[in-house]
Amino acid sequence: MVDIRSNRRDAGGRSVITANRLLDGIVVWRMKDGAWCTLISDASLIPNDQVEAILDKVKPEAQSQGVLGVYGVQVQEDEAGRTVPVTARERIRAFGPSVHPEFSPQDFAAENRTRESSHVG
Amino acid sequence: MLLLENGHPVTDRWSYAAEGEALGTGPVIVPLSRLSEGLGRSAGELGVMLPVDESVSVLRGALPRLSLIVITFPVFRDGRAFSQARALREHLHFTREIRASGHVLPDQYEFLVRCGVTTVEVPDNADLPVWERALHQFRVAMQPSVVNEKPTGFGLRRFLPA
Amino acid sequence: MSADTMIREEVVPVNRQVGLYAYDQVDRTFLRERIDQFRDQVARRVSGELTEDEFKPLRLMNGLYLQLHAYMLRVAVPYGTLASRQVQALARIAREFDRGYGHFTTRQNIQFNWIRLEDTPAALEVLAEADMHAIQTSGNCIRNVTSDEFAGAAADELLDPRVHAEILRQWSTLHPEFTFLPRKFKIAISGSPQDRVAARFHDIGLIARPGPDGRPLFEVFVGGGLGRTPIVGTKLRDDLPEEDLVAYLEAILRVYNEFGRRDNIYKARIKILVQALGAEDFRQRVDTEFSAMDRARYRLEPALVQAIRDRFGVPAFEPEGDAPALLAQARKKDRAFDTWVRTNTHPHRAPGYLSVVVSLKPAGGIPGDATAEQLDLLADLAERFSFGELRVTHLQNVVLGHVRQDRLYEVWQALSVAGLATANIGFITDIVACPGLDYCALANARAIPISQKLSSRFADLELQREIGALRINISGCINACGHHHAAHIGILGVDKRGEEAFQLTLGGSGEEDASIGQILGPAMSEDDTVDAVARLVDFYLVRRDGTERFLDTYRRIGTAAFKDVVYAPA
Repeated sequence: MVDIRSNRRDAGGRSVITANRLLDGIVVWRMKDGAWCTLISDASLIPNDQVEAILDKVKPEAQSQGVLGVYGVQVQEDEAGRTVPVTARERIRAFGPSVHPEFSPQDFAAENRTRESSHVG
Repeated sequence: MLLLENGHPVTDRWSYAAEGEALGTGPVIVPLSRLSEGLGRSAGELGVMLPVDESVSVLRGALPRLSLIVITFPVFRDGRAFSQARALREHLHFTREIRASGHVLPDQYEFLVRCGVTTVEVPDNADLPVWERALHQFRVAMQPSVVNEKPTGFGLRRFLPA
Repeated sequence: MSADTMIREEVVPVNRQVGLYAYDQVDRTFLRERIDQFRDQVARRVSGELTEDEFKPLRLMNGLYLQLHAYMLRVAVPYGTLASRQVQALARIAREFDRGYGHFTTRQNIQFNWIRLEDTPAALEVLAEADMHAIQTSGNCIRNVTSDEFAGAAADELLDPRVHAEILRQWSTLHPEFTFLPRKFKIAISGSPQDRVAARFHDIGLIARPGPDGRPLFEVFVGGGLGRTPIVGTKLRDDLPEEDLVAYLEAILRVYNEFGRRDNIYKARIKILVQALGAEDFRQRVDTEFSAMDRARYRLEPALVQAIRDRFGVPAFEPEGDAPALLAQARKKDRAFDTWVRTNTHPHRAPGYLSVVVSLKPAGGIPGDATAEQLDLLADLAERFSFGELRVTHLQNVVLGHVRQDRLYEVWQALSVAGLATANIGFITDIVACPGLDYCALANARAIPISQKLSSRFADLELQREIGALRINISGCINACGHHHAAHIGILGVDKRGEEAFQLTLGGSGEEDASIGQILGPAMSEDDTVDAVARLVDFYLVRRDGTERFLDTYRRIGTAAFKDVVYAPA
């Protein structure tokens, strides 16, 4: 999938790799070890001059990794040092629908961690 | 390449004309550009490939001499070939073999048959049980077709063959 | 036992639901077979046997989109009509498979935003138990045939079009020739001269009326649409007889499937073909096909139509008695109730009854959204007060079609408790908005927050009544699912170098006086757009003639004056 709007990459900038999970459609981000996570804060930051090469390597493996629609998203750091995409669309993908803050991936991850820890013991 | 009819592989007695070579005397499928050459043969069954963007009427004159017409799917999403097959049956009253070739999914098989297609070319590694299942997925269709299935007696429904 | 004999045992269902086609065993088996087919397709996708490219049209034709955050499932609501138990099934989907809510769309369907692909076959089974499905709600095929939210109820209706909508639904379901069209295909049908279905903005729009012999005749419009190239449809036929309805539409689709463009998805709708060929050439091709085709095969014999009509339950209206008097009393006693009756009811053909429009546009809320609890309430109200039937409008509200006037107060009270009694139908806060960039992978800008700002700003009911009828529609991108071209004030989300901006259009109408909104000027920020709308409304209030609507003032004065209101230096 070619994402024209999010492929505005500056020479000196950095990007993350993103996709959707096949089975549930959830947005995922590629980590340093090649695994996929649900929080952009855990995503591996890649200098823009390396993005295309990594995409060429990752895309053919999408099916076996249970993801689809792999592409790169340019990011920057905000004042708090958080990784934030530069476009509105990718910010919403990363942080959830603005009109339903309770459905953000961040809240969802926290909820699942609580649920898991309450199951232990 | 395998040839399917009624959900099963069948022997293919046809061959496609080789570019730059003579047509020979056996059953041969020619591209539209070589149709007159094919019609000029004194013996051998003739088949023709109909490009997806051609009207079926280009075959009108040749029809009595054609034993096979191949309709093509450049990509499975291009549904013009369904209309071509249906028009060949309905308007040109073509009664012999219509074959679908190109990129087709088993999920389209029942639609092809209902538009008058006889045989389908599939890759050698096609999942044959999926193709066979496709013809038995539905027992009833919600509308008539050129194949003129038996009405169920309600609405426009038709029984699909078991 | 052969399939023939098993199926022949079709019995006319005993408990026919009012307003809905009653399924028989054949219909129910069909849904099961479809689910089996989809389950198999999912398995072949997961294993990699089907590529995403091959799987995508197949899942779209079962209503499943891959959106920004998750899969979205669009459930079909044929001609916008639901039975109570179906609304309960939707509530169940919201609760068990989603995050507790659903969204009603501009084509009378309902969408769920957080569905998992792996759960979809199970969700479809829950729907199938209530005779529901998601067949062909997306994809390049014939989509949901939409109709009038007041069908079978409105005082101004000449013919209830839902029987024909059902016939077209069946005809178009898994049609062997038209399942891989150049692009999507949308049909709307109305039985009233008041066009509440936007017939002239559909690929095919049908307006039904009784002919001199009592049998229905149809006006046929073709090639209307919104999106990148908004066009008002061309009238092909004025008096198509009922018996030829399916045959004629079959002929139109054959021409479209053969000649519609396949090289450019932005030029692939039938409206482009009609414009390219010209109306006359297009009509001739349709007529040629219509003359040559085997018409007998597609003829709608009166007995066939009647058999389908017999599947629809008919409401047993009670005599009006003192219902109107009781309503008048209740209105005198409760001012808030009276206000709501004035905006949220519609005249009914049966004395003593009214149709109720339930507003899904609370101030500051998300247009068209309903929680699982609200859905359950609506199911209950439909059951108790409206013969078990609920309708969806293409303006993202819902309708209780047949409510006795003396029971209106009870309905209003129940709606009020649930936040469903905003008295704003047809007013400035009765906004239509697509999900926009908050949810949709195609969008350029968010549509919901700007809608919330506008509905909060204009929340005061007296102000709204003062402004009068004003249609605002918001689309998050040029695909125009919010139908902004057909709005008095349309708002279009655009992308300005990765940031959101909004463009205004004025003077559109989706009714029988169909017109396409004119772009006012350059795009602005969200807050500037909200301020601009406020200034436009103020300008209208100053310049209007008598009681004319915003749309009429705009048409009378012209666009230049309105443009200055927004763009001229202060």
